[in-house]
Amino acid sequence: MTDALHRLLRTPQGVLGLGLLAVLVLACLLGRSLAPYSPEAMDFAGRFAPPGARHWFGADQLGRDVLSRLLVGASSTIPLAVAATFSGALVGACVGTLSAYLGGRWDEAITRTIDAVMAIPHLLLALILVSTLGKGSTNAALAIAISVAPSMARVTRSVALSVRQQDYVKAAIARGEGAGWIVLREMLPNVAAPLIIEATIRVAFAVMLFATLSFLGLGAQPPASEWGLMISEARRFMHQAPWILVAPALAIATTAICFNLLGDGLRDALNPRDER
Amino acid sequence: MSPVLAVAGYSLDYVTREGTQRVLEDVTLAIAPGEVLGLVGESGSGKTSLAWAIMRHLPGNAREAAGGSLRLGDVDLRAASARALETIRGRRMSMVFQDPSTALNPTLSIGRQVSEVLVRHRGLSEKDAWQAATEALAHVDLRDPAGLMKRYPHEASGGEKQRVVIATAFACRPELIVFDEPTTALDVITGARILELFGRLRAETGVSALYISHDLALVARVADRVAILEKGRIVEEAPADRIFTAPAHPYTRRLVAAVPRPEQRLVTDQVRPRELLRGEGIAVRYRRKRLFRLAPPPATDHVTLDIRRGEILGIVGESGSGKSSIARALTGLADYEGDIALDGRRIGSVKDMDRTYRKAVQIVFQHPDSSLNPRQTVGDILARPLRLYGGDVATIPALLDEVRLPAAYARRYPHQLSGGEKQRVAIARAFAAKPDLVICDEITAPLDVSVQASVVELLLRLREANGTAYLFITHDLNLVRQVAHRIVVMRQGEIVDLLDMEMLRRGEIHSYTRELIAASPTPVG
Repeated sequence: MTDALHRLLRTPQGVLGLGLLAVLVLACLLGRSLAPYSPEAMDFAGRFAPPGARHWFGADQLGRDVLSRLLVGASSTIPLAVAATFSGALVGACVGTLSAYLGGRWDEAITRTIDAVMAIPHLLLALILVSTLGKGSTNAALAIAISVAPSMARVTRSVALSVRQQDYVKAAIARGEGAGWIVLREMLPNVAAPLIIEATIRVAFAVMLFATLSFLGLGAQPPASEWGLMISEARRFMHQAPWILVAPALAIATTAICFNLLGDGLRDALNPRDER
Repeated sequence: MSPVLAVAGYSLDYVTREGTQRVLEDVTLAIAPGEVLGLVGESGSGKTSLAWAIMRHLPGNAREAAGGSLRLGDVDLRAASARALETIRGRRMSMVFQDPSTALNPTLSIGRQVSEVLVRHRGLSEKDAWQAATEALAHVDLRDPAGLMKRYPHEASGGEKQRVVIATAFACRPELIVFDEPTTALDVITGARILELFGRLRAETGVSALYISHDLALVARVADRVAILEKGRIVEEAPADRIFTAPAHPYTRRLVAAVPRPEQRLVTDQVRPRELLRGEGIAVRYRRKRLFRLAPPPATDHVTLDIRRGEILGIVGESGSGKSSIARALTGLADYEGDIALDGRRIGSVKDMDRTYRKAVQIVFQHPDSSLNPRQTVGDILARPLRLYGGDVATIPALLDEVRLPAAYARRYPHQLSGGEKQRVAIARAFAAKPDLVICDEITAPLDVSVQASVVELLLRLREANGTAYLFITHDLNLVRQVAHRIVVMRQGEIVDLLDMEMLRRGEIHSYTRELIAASPTPVG
């Protein structure tokens, strides 16, 4: 693992991605104490204050400091998106590996089901799920996890199919191991590398999907300072005070770019190529 | 006469994260016109690196030491520009690779690939080149060359592909051809025919060749002179007929001693005819009949064989003869028709294979790299069968000791071991179950001769200690004649011959077996 980290730090994408990630983690952990103001502190005299020395990113329609809201909002946006992606990825990985292991008719059935689910656009699927489950951050995260799972299952299956042919899997079958052991202990650890890469890139989608759900009023609820919700609230004042909109939009973009870069870097770090 | 290829004082390093590693040290050799020089070395000795250095296609982390020279006739290859090299490669020197399945581009027809060389280097028009390429294919004894030109590589067999590669290499009448283990990926008979072809083409064209191989017996057959490479150094160079009779360097002597000699039996005991396992009419099919598709012929066609307690039963045959399918059926990796009986207990299908059966019948696979899970330590790998079959995990050090590995290896991961060490771990894993029968599926094929000899010795010692029977699947007839009590010869899914050593001695053998024996390179002298 330290080896992979070492290689990650040698690629420019990796360094940049890790740097941005450090900033984001810091914001998630210490956002509340770093914030210059309380995110809920209203100041009617300072409504729509433009970015400046007092409010670095300006103030919103209620005079709340945008920077403080962003910092505090980080902890309600990023961890949920990451958790949603990785739980979805884990479920998808298990299903995909199982499908590759079972093969034959089972594989066919699982793959076709995945295809059917994937035919529904992510956002639509998430919308359907949230509208059945009810509004709220947790349900939005659950919806994201479920919409991530099928595509992860598909990616995993293709990798697991080649692992399935490896002799150590055959050795386990010849030993009389159960399906659970073979899938979880023999195969899954060996499909992990491409999965981590794929999942990291998916986090960027999840952050945006989560923001979209909040923007549509189905995710986080006011007065939370979730980024998508902030954009949704700022939309009405777009022409009056564009910074209220631009700041959270930039934050979402940065997060997406961070995870994309990280994924690219990991792809190089975890798959050392022939250097010829 | 000036040599075609002259390598003088050539050294090469690879720069890795652990530091620089010397792969070739002060290599000096020369190949005269029309001469074939064999280059023999074990894996990691740097023989393929030398081939790539001559072809001027080294990996990015290679560093050539100053001073050494590589000359092809009058050309200094090290000083040649990339553009100059483009006209030399394929025209004046060419290469034949180990694996014909990856040496041809799968998206281009065979004709395109052969004629491209002619267009490029002999300046022929597309039409003339096609004509010349067809002739070139006919010249390497390919049936229906005109039809083959239109086919794609996946529509040709391994032997056909290697012939195409050879035809391409000879197409421009080069001065030098580098052969990098051209028969290793092929089965014995196909390989022997490729060698015959090479001998004929060589006599016709008078080409010089560098013939790289790990197989000393094979090289002694094709080469005029043999150079032995050990860890990047040439330790001995001698005429081919002398290398077996009078090896000078201790390393050469070790290599020569490790070559299996069929007349030298390693197993002397006799086994009593007490049946351990019997397979009755075993047929393995990989594809079922579908609505619009007829069932393909089975990989093994109702094969019947029996293994006695403590016996070593060899199975030999070309690739695709169904010998591995028998192993797959006996270990429950493939569905089979027919009956298996272990100690008289009937096992009618894979579902009947319970823990007792699985414990009794263990398998060791061909590729040590893929038979150990890269994410588990050696200790974890060995602990699993012990837990599963009621052994004691505390015996792992003893188990490692049995296969002559230090107990500290339990904490290592497979990638930290060499190929031979990995194979020992795989053997230890099989013996952890205290089995009655161990199926060895080509387990020595990917190993170097000296490692191969030590693995065979280990197997024989384990058999002596535990009374285990082996089903020894191999294509190496010389080796199997050294160890097996009885030999089963398979062809196209059928058993053509079942013989014991007495019958072999008396020559009561099937004509196909005779052909196989003739095709196996035997050590001369």
